[in-house]
Amino acid sequence: MNLERVVFGFFIVLALALNVVFVIGDIENPEYHSVWVLTAAIFVSLIATGLKLGDRTQVGAILLGTSLVSDMLLIIARVIWIVQVEDGGAPNAGDMVAIVSWAGGALVANLISATVLASDALMSRH
Amino acid sequence: MMITVYAIGIIGMALMPGLDADGNPHSMSLFHAFYFFTYTATTTGFGEIPYNFTDEQRLWTIICLYMGVIAWLYAIGSIIKLVQNPYLVHAIAEWRFTRSVQRIWSPFYIVCGFGDTGSLLTRGISDHGMMAVIIDSDEERIKALALRDYRVTMPGLCADASVPVHLVNAGIKHPKCLGVIALMADEDLNQKIAVMARFLNPEIKVICRTTSPRHQKHFIAIPGVTIINTFELFASQLRRAVIAPKLHTLSEWFIGARGFSLDKPMQKMRHGHWILCGYGRMGSCIQREFATVNIDTVVVDPIVEHLGEVRQSITAYADAQSLAEADLENAAGLVVGTGSDADNLGILLHAHQFRSNALLIVRQNQHENELAFNAASVDLIMQASLVTARNILRYLIAPSMQHVIDHLESVDPKITVGLLDKLKLSFADVKPHLLSVTIGDDTPAVIAASENGLTIRIADIIRDPNKHDRELVCVPLAITRNSKTTVLPSASEAILKDDVLLFCATMRDVRRVQTTLRSPQRLSYLITGYEEPSGYFFKWLHRMFPHLMQTEKV
Repeated sequence: MNLERVVFGFFIVLALALNVVFVIGDIENPEYHSVWVLTAAIFVSLIATGLKLGDRTQVGAILLGTSLVSDMLLIIARVIWIVQVEDGGAPNAGDMVAIVSWAGGALVANLISATVLASDALMSRH
Repeated sequence: MMITVYAIGIIGMALMPGLDADGNPHSMSLFHAFYFFTYTATTTGFGEIPYNFTDEQRLWTIICLYMGVIAWLYAIGSIIKLVQNPYLVHAIAEWRFTRSVQRIWSPFYIVCGFGDTGSLLTRGISDHGMMAVIIDSDEERIKALALRDYRVTMPGLCADASVPVHLVNAGIKHPKCLGVIALMADEDLNQKIAVMARFLNPEIKVICRTTSPRHQKHFIAIPGVTIINTFELFASQLRRAVIAPKLHTLSEWFIGARGFSLDKPMQKMRHGHWILCGYGRMGSCIQREFATVNIDTVVVDPIVEHLGEVRQSITAYADAQSLAEADLENAAGLVVGTGSDADNLGILLHAHQFRSNALLIVRQNQHENELAFNAASVDLIMQASLVTARNILRYLIAPSMQHVIDHLESVDPKITVGLLDKLKLSFADVKPHLLSVTIGDDTPAVIAASENGLTIRIADIIRDPNKHDRELVCVPLAITRNSKTTVLPSASEAILKDDVLLFCATMRDVRRVQTTLRSPQRLSYLITGYEEPSGYFFKWLHRMFPHLMQTEKV
């Protein structure tokens, strides 16, 4: 039992879960996609990146890379939301598709992170 | 000549009067004429352009055709002759060889001489994942080299290796070159190669095979040259096989010799005298080696010169009669060691007629006669080229191995038996690999760990990273510190910088140990049993609240 593994595993899986929560549903319909979930996903993903800073192992480097990708894509999605959508209003269908697509890209990066993490844990008990 | 023919053809074609489609006079442009002549001379024949030809033009076309085609054939012939020119072929081969050597990125050895020993050594080098560059003056051997199934392609050059420029082309000054091994049949050439190599690159290992005491004496004067005397090596191996068969099996097994498994039943050493058939350079070496361990020998040879310390000798061909005279029935063993394979096999036939329990040891000279020797029922076949190749290989991959063997020979045989049992238990049928590690730049993890104030012990390196309380199949054989070698060091021995460690491990665990030596995280886990925090945040957390992070050993 290692605290670092517990904490890091928690944040990686949480980032993946929140990402799925945001992306899932009709891609054009804003009712399925909550801006709160997107924002939470960005924060969790940023924390996961921060935890991997300074890790010089091979696996650590890959995880740092993938979580940076997911940060970047999620932030782009959030920026589109901020720029295209008026305060309090819902995005139109075209903007919604763009936002969810970017978040979908982040989902792929998060999936890779989670896979690497799981396989590393399975490969060596150390 | 081609240009003249072209010029005549093109100008003529352009001058010939022609008619266009409407019947107006028309002459070919120079470009069209060139186009037409090109495809005519090369026998392509696209047809008549731009309009159908007049008879005058067709007449000129006939002349063009014969002239052009003959000129072309002649030109092609000259080109082919040039390509087949042996000097050009050789120059191209050498250029290619030099380029492929320059492109080598992994460590390699230069092997001069690709005979029996050379090819066996190259095979061994390939099996250990290293590269070799081969020089031999025999073209057939270099051609055969290209057909061998080595793991990596080994560049080969057909040239005289004692010419410095060829050694340079073979990469003697290449930063990855580890050494030069001179295995030519000619002793003088070997000597020349060794001397040249010392001058061209004093950094590298030079290994030189020799058989004559005169050359050996000369070589001892050259610093940095390792001499392998085939006959002495063979004789000392033979002596070891006779007086310490377990150790012999062990040392053959380490090098991965086929047919040497650890649990093979051992021949018991019998009391009595040994019969030596053949008393040449090899025979006298064997006799001397036997004399050092107080074994009585009887020499059987038609020509016995410089008898020296030989007490008993029979000057005759080794046939049934002379073997009976040498009392084969009561002998402890028979060494058939003439320089001719046919003679050796013949002597074996005679020896088989006796009802004797003597051990039969036979010398095989030519690698190609392997099948015949395998068919003869003998206790041990020793092949000089194989013995030499294996010893050189062992020296290359694990220089301290010889110390281990020598040490085991000098101490109580029970230690050898103990080691043998331990290896038998952990290796079973898996092939062993020798791993020689120098603590330094290649092992950043050890350096990092000692900078962090940790003491690294051998036991830590060979611990199983997946199960902290278990060991990998990796047996420490020796540790060399300040050019002093400790054989079979204890697992609690601490490791310092510049130590050379020798392990015997399975291929899988060789990789694991190498990973451990390179990855600081893994090594510190193996030493302390705790996983170090890796990210900045957790390092900080660990400093602030040490009790929070790791509560129990994993």
